[in-house]
Amino acid sequence: MAVPAQVESVPAGHKRFVGLRRAFAPIAEARGMARTMLWLGAAITLGFVLVALLAPVIAPYEFDQFRTSEGRFAQLEAPSRDHLMGTNVQSTDVLSRIIWGTQTELKVVLISLFFSISIGVPLGLLSGYFGGKLDRVLVLIMDALFVFPFLLLAIVIAFLLADKVGQGIFTAAIAITVVYVPLYFRVVRNHTISIREEPFVEAARALGAKPFTIVRKYVFFNVVQNVPPLATLNAADAILTLTALGFLGYGIQPSDGAEWGYDIQRAVSDAASGIWWTGIFPGLAIVLLVTGLTLLGEGLNETINPVLRKRPRGPVDFSEPVESE
Amino acid sequence: MPARGYEKGDQMKRRSRGLRLGVLASVVALVVAFAAGAGQSAPGGSTQAGVLVSGTTDAITNIDPAGNYDFGTFTLGANVFEHLYDARNGPKIVPSLATGCQPRGSTRVWRCNLRRGVKFHDGSDFDSADVKFSFDRVNNRQILRQAAANTPASLLSSLRSVTTNGRYAVTFNLKNAVSTWPYFLATGAAGIVPSDAYQGNRLQGNTQPQIGTGPFRLVRYTPGQQAVFERFDDYWGPNAKSEGLILRYYTRSSTMKLALERGEIDMAFQTFTPTELVDLGETRNVRVHQGQGAVIRYLVLNVEREPFDNINVRRAVAYLMPRQAIASRVYRGTVRPLFSMPPAGLPGHIDAFASRYGRTPNVAAARRELQAAGVTMPLAIDVWYTPTRYGAASADEYAEIKRSLERGGVFRVTLKTAEWAQYSSVLGNQYNAFQLGWFPDYADPENYVLSFYQDGNFTENGYSNPRMTRLLNQEQAATTLARRIAIIRQIQVLAAADVPIIPVWQGNMVAPARSNVRGIPSTLDAAFIMRYWKLSKS
Amino acid sequence: MAAKGTSLRQYLVTRLLLVIPMVLILLTLVFLLMRVAPGDPVSAALGGRVPQEELDRIRDELGFNRPILIQYVEYLGDVVRGDFGVATTDRRAISDIIVENGAATLELTFFAMVVAVVVGVTLGLLAGRFRDTWIDGGSRLFGIVIYAMPVFFLGLMAQLFFGSYLGWLPTSDRASPLVDATLETHTHLYTIDTLIAGDWDAFVDVVKHLILPAVTLGLVTAGVFIRLVRVNVIRTMKDDYIEAARARGIDERAVVYHHAFKNALVPVITVVGLTVALLLSGAILTETTFNWPGIGLTLFTYLGNRDYTAVQGIVILFALVVVFASLIIDFVNAYIDPRIRY
Repeated sequence: MAVPAQVESVPAGHKRFVGLRRAFAPIAEARGMARTMLWLGAAITLGFVLVALLAPVIAPYEFDQFRTSEGRFAQLEAPSRDHLMGTNVQSTDVLSRIIWGTQTELKVVLISLFFSISIGVPLGLLSGYFGGKLDRVLVLIMDALFVFPFLLLAIVIAFLLADKVGQGIFTAAIAITVVYVPLYFRVVRNHTISIREEPFVEAARALGAKPFTIVRKYVFFNVVQNVPPLATLNAADAILTLTALGFLGYGIQPSDGAEWGYDIQRAVSDAASGIWWTGIFPGLAIVLLVTGLTLLGEGLNETINPVLRKRPRGPVDFSEPVESE
Repeated sequence: MPARGYEKGDQMKRRSRGLRLGVLASVVALVVAFAAGAGQSAPGGSTQAGVLVSGTTDAITNIDPAGNYDFGTFTLGANVFEHLYDARNGPKIVPSLATGCQPRGSTRVWRCNLRRGVKFHDGSDFDSADVKFSFDRVNNRQILRQAAANTPASLLSSLRSVTTNGRYAVTFNLKNAVSTWPYFLATGAAGIVPSDAYQGNRLQGNTQPQIGTGPFRLVRYTPGQQAVFERFDDYWGPNAKSEGLILRYYTRSSTMKLALERGEIDMAFQTFTPTELVDLGETRNVRVHQGQGAVIRYLVLNVEREPFDNINVRRAVAYLMPRQAIASRVYRGTVRPLFSMPPAGLPGHIDAFASRYGRTPNVAAARRELQAAGVTMPLAIDVWYTPTRYGAASADEYAEIKRSLERGGVFRVTLKTAEWAQYSSVLGNQYNAFQLGWFPDYADPENYVLSFYQDGNFTENGYSNPRMTRLLNQEQAATTLARRIAIIRQIQVLAAADVPIIPVWQGNMVAPARSNVRGIPSTLDAAFIMRYWKLSKS
Repeated sequence: MAAKGTSLRQYLVTRLLLVIPMVLILLTLVFLLMRVAPGDPVSAALGGRVPQEELDRIRDELGFNRPILIQYVEYLGDVVRGDFGVATTDRRAISDIIVENGAATLELTFFAMVVAVVVGVTLGLLAGRFRDTWIDGGSRLFGIVIYAMPVFFLGLMAQLFFGSYLGWLPTSDRASPLVDATLETHTHLYTIDTLIAGDWDAFVDVVKHLILPAVTLGLVTAGVFIRLVRVNVIRTMKDDYIEAARARGIDERAVVYHHAFKNALVPVITVVGLTVALLLSGAILTETTFNWPGIGLTLFTYLGNRDYTAVQGIVILFALVVVFASLIIDFVNAYIDPRIRY
């Protein structure tokens, strides 16, 4: 069995990056399937990132463009040389909407990742390290959020924000953030609790280090190892949530940008009428991007943070996001 | 997929007994399921001969006539409950449970003679006490509270009191003159229920028995799923043509379309997407019936706030409204351009906007208007629509409008959206240009002008013109139809000049059905009532 | 043994007591979110027909214009008395909604879970057992791709292929109109009701209606199981007692099948329980795709109408079900594995 060797020794290098180096060293040592998954996932994800960044260059048309100087595009036209993936009911180009849509999806996911990590991780650290009343209250709130049906939560948050900032990218991102904060909180808190009792933390405490210094210097870098795989898997999940919002009609509206879930919602009636190209391409785009992110996340999970080797305790592994759809 | 699971599961059985049992049970369940699935496949034959099954995407609120003010519930109730007047055979209302109503002195007092020999579904006789009871209920305080947001009471806001004159006559005393009172008697709010089976201060629950005088008896209602009706054999009029009727409720038109194609339902009424209708039109064994409709869509402009407080700006928008493109491209011919609020097909309709602004967008004229307004072009405006009320095609409709308004650099449009509950709570109080739709309370042009052009109208667009108010008052007090129609024409001309609202399209009444369903064309008219009792299967 | 009993009881009591603040937080959260969100049941139903003053009069009448704190206290009072009220939209009792539509969701998710467990556990066990072989790779890839499928997309494909193209299976609802019209409901679980009625044709009809939604939801959920079971098989295979069994020279296959698989499945039971928490959200998508009249679809409809009472009631009662489901699982685990009771 190709279990990657555990990296215990701290590689030499600049002190500030010791933690990070330690965190990233295993990537180079990944082998076997983990390696394949890691690189395949990274390639797919990178591909989408490139598409998003280069959208202005590679997209044949604007996401809402319906005509060129030569005239108006045909409506619901099957894939052709001018429109590789056909056109939809608004006479816009499906391929262009997918390419611009990549930008939308990734923007939303990045914003929501940023917010959910920067809220969930510190809260989890504090709650886990200091414990006490704060911990109990936070756990209770986060658990309540966790029990709350997440799509409903996202929809209602979207309602709230729509009034202030419209039904755009930011609203969707915040709605998704609220759904994922409890997850980061939970994982980081549990991990912090187990780290808190580790000998090196005890030692630091004995030497009189201030609590915040300990949290920052020792606990954080150990705990933060969990975050990249979790964040990647979460990004995958966030895309499913975003497209679900779009599908239900409560996501990003067409006037605010191209979004795959919305396009599928609109394509449902096309699909039942023999017009396959408006729905299948956005659908495949979702599947491919989510697959890429999941592969990357699982690959990272197995290399950086080998759950398969050690786990504090308990039979259930909560760091595995168990959300389906 | 399950086949693979079965094979691999097989390997493990040898060792672990518990596991084996679990896997076995699951596999059996699946195999049975698939066998069952494969065994019977008879698309097209799953409905019974005498029972007509119809699908709809409408939702149901309170079936009790005192508790609903929405089209879906009205359509359900129309099978069960009748009114003193009904649009029984066409857009024109005729005496139904009444034999006639006449104004006494002025149109503030109306006296109705009632039909004799009418029986309720529970066998009791219909008389004036039931009429008074039914009208009193709608405004009963407790019932108002229970009906909450679904109360139809505003339809009867002119009613002061009802008095009985013996067993077979009643008098309606109104707060103001209403020359169209019989039309109000035909609305859902005026459904007649028996005084002994309903309570005066309690809404009848949806799963409690619903009793009316209509051609069908409601025998079972499963919320959100279906309503089952049986023919009422003691009906006073011509009996329903089918012995049974099932209305089936869908949340998405795409599943309803598949059900229709597979023959699980015989017909559908309200509402397919344009693409689906086009495809159904090409489907074997399915016919898409279309007839005169009464639903309209329009764009409201706030006449009090910039930039639409300037009449030239409003007129510029009116010049650019791409009605033909919307009708043909977005709705694929299932709607028609609308050039005045009362739709074509109603008496008194004139194409007021067409005669003033032309039938197709006119960029040059729009530019002239904006020059007259003294604004720089392109003028930036926000236009609002809601994706969750009037169908997803609203997005396409407003994309078309944006494209047309931006032609020749006249406007620069930012489309904005809000979900319905939020949208409907602000309307003109927040939005300057916004989409709305209307289906008629009663099939008279008055219903398409009064609500929109009177002072303090519900759109909150701030429109108020003394001349218009005077015309509306004259219309309500007019005693002859000819006089009313003449005034309604003047109202439309004035509205086209003032442009507080721009009519966009009127929908056809559309009902796709399997080819063996008979009688649908006879019910497609401007009254906008699906008379299921006139339909049958051959 | 006695000591174990005491601490177990203590654990149970603590966990049970913790449910109270949790439910309170949920109540507050859902109440606040619904009230603060723009729009209300009155505008959703009558807006666009009736002038705003009239709407406001109705809001007054219904008490929506009172200070939010008073409404909140009143709502809490009702809930404490066990009165979840009736929906504003159609006056259905919340308890009826939970029983009737909840049964539809239960039936769908039960069969989906069967599919998920059969597919997920089988592939997961195989992947874990044959780690780093093509079997592992294939199973995992399948698991990942199926997990990456939005349930509405997979459902749409299934509807078009099996319902429309092949014409084998119905694509919406729980039963055909006539079956629905005549079926006597005792349990609201149609499979059981039809069997009670002894109506074989109706049973077949109901099962046919179940297949597409259940398999769709089941497959998507299977992805999670594959990952989980695999990880746990690998973990248990490295546990000391497995090593010990190996060291004692017990046949490798016996070790794998008897010890590793069995132990790897214990956490799966927990996850099945945890998945309950995610069912409602998942159900919204599956149920809207297949027009399945379950609790998710109902909730979605009421949400559009801003039906405060209905949304609050459904969410709270559903959350209670979830909380108690996870409690039971915790208790079972605590009973099996004393280490958990810390």
